Amino acid sequence: MYAGIDLGSRNVKVALMKDNGKFNLHKYDTVSFYRQYGRMEEGQLVVDLAGAGLADMKLQNIVSTGYGRQTINLKGTKNIPEIKAHVTGAVHLAGIKDFTLLDLGGQDSKVAKVVNGRMHDFETNDRCAASTGRYLENMAAVLDIDMKELSRYHEHPVDLTSTCAIFGETELIGKVVEGHPVSELAAGVNYTIFKRIKPMLLKLKSPKLVFTGGVARNAALKKIVEQEISVEVIVPDNPQYAGAIGCAVTALENDII
Amino acid sequence: MEKVGITTTIPAEIIYAAGMVPVDLNNIFITSENPQGMVEEAEIAGYPRNICAWIKGLYTTVIRSDDINTLVAVTQGDCSNTHALMETLELSGVRVIPFAYPYDRDHDLLKLQMEKLMEAFGVTWQQVKREKERLDQVRQKVWKMDELTWKGNRITGWDNHLYQVSCSDFNGDPEVFAQEMDNFLNGLEKKPALNTGLRLGYIGVPPIVDDMYDYLEERGARVVYNETQRQFTMPFNNEDIVEQYRLYSYPYGIFYRLQDVKEQIKLRQLDGIIHYAQSFCYRQIEDMIVRQKLDVPVLTLEGDKPNKLDARTRMRLDSFVEMLR
Repeated sequence: MYAGIDLGSRNVKVALMKDNGKFNLHKYDTVSFYRQYGRMEEGQLVVDLAGAGLADMKLQNIVSTGYGRQTINLKGTKNIPEIKAHVTGAVHLAGIKDFTLLDLGGQDSKVAKVVNGRMHDFETNDRCAASTGRYLENMAAVLDIDMKELSRYHEHPVDLTSTCAIFGETELIGKVVEGHPVSELAAGVNYTIFKRIKPMLLKLKSPKLVFTGGVARNAALKKIVEQEISVEVIVPDNPQYAGAIGCAVTALENDII
Repeated sequence: MEKVGITTTIPAEIIYAAGMVPVDLNNIFITSENPQGMVEEAEIAGYPRNICAWIKGLYTTVIRSDDINTLVAVTQGDCSNTHALMETLELSGVRVIPFAYPYDRDHDLLKLQMEKLMEAFGVTWQQVKREKERLDQVRQKVWKMDELTWKGNRITGWDNHLYQVSCSDFNGDPEVFAQEMDNFLNGLEKKPALNTGLRLGYIGVPPIVDDMYDYLEERGARVVYNETQRQFTMPFNNEDIVEQYRLYSYPYGIFYRLQDVKEQIKLRQLDGIIHYAQSFCYRQIEDMIVRQKLDVPVLTLEGDKPNKLDARTRMRLDSFVEMLR
């Protein structure tokens, strides 16, 4: 068995790859995960594997990645760069080798061009979280709807101009006061994300786009991308686990080599 | 000897000819104990948050110093924020002498600017040329160090950066600096060989963080070309001092700069380029041109605060190295 751990900003995702190639997937709130299972030893994070559901795991069969990777080394495990993990996971999940990867996570947006299964070029968001899951969560809270409801709307979007996730809230409240229906407000929020990632997508465009990360569950955004830049958008099952699955696949490949 | 602050590389020969000592404010700021504290001090004074951290650091450096009362500020060819830096320092009683590199590298205009600077310091061409000979002897040692960086495998990206960037003011004492350079070169054989497979180039202004070179080397990639830092060493071996500062690429347009970068990519057999631009700097726009004109992979890094790489930048460096491999 092999395990991949993606230490994300919102959630820690664990993918356990069984001998038949199938995955068991687990998700933990990042802060609770560190509090419950983690402790620091000589500047490195040590995770209580049994508590985190990895009791019988050999350390050499675990590969980790994620935002935490930069500040926290998961002691004893191999760490791989985040974009590599996501590309590997997307290749595995989508079953294709030439595509543009769009990964929208809690605080990150990444776009990578994948040619023949290898990363060819990549872009990430600038120093701002206005194109990420956290932004959507904040805006859904302002509209008093959940993420599922938010992801239903892409038509007749209100125009939100603010480039800042926080000032965007003020602007959205202004639109609420103007009397726009929730559908148009939600569509406006979804469009804002698209506007932020559009330059990156155009720069690294391919005919097929694989959309991963938690935000990939937003069906409205998928439609917007398809319509606006005329590409086929593939959202694999469990898109938010792409990084963790990429790690588990890497653990398997390392073991074979 | 009287100190003269400089905002970036200027013809240092002129200051030395006047028997004064040039002090590159950037170096004082970034090697100070708490550079971020200096940035914050400028913000408290009223500098906006969304302005380059270098300018704020330079401001506080002069304000805090009790022996820099004269400043040569580069008003063209570096950064237009320098104009407001000059004015706010003038308000505090500092004597400011402007110096402008002509955008089109016009020989006569550059010569005129140098003559105006010489007039401000009361020196002659003869004195300035004598100083050029003196400084060129030191520069030759640094050229040697740079050559050994890309031809050999014992000099780190950081050492290459540090010795070259110091050539803006020669740390205030060219002979002592030359001695340090000699000691470094003499001790080179005893240094461990660096087993880094990837060869990178670094272009743009010197980084505001001090851990990038080490971070890359730990991951098997070494910077063997530092564009701007190398330019500070005037690596042209040209006897004509006006021509020397005309060949100097940093203050002129991006197309001229890229000619030099392209030559070095080929010569040094670079696998990729890191283009660093400071947050809020107009050079971030020029990244468009850099990406179009260079035919090796380019990673664009944006630096804001001193002094360490942030998590996001480290993630991007990791991915870039992984991609090149």
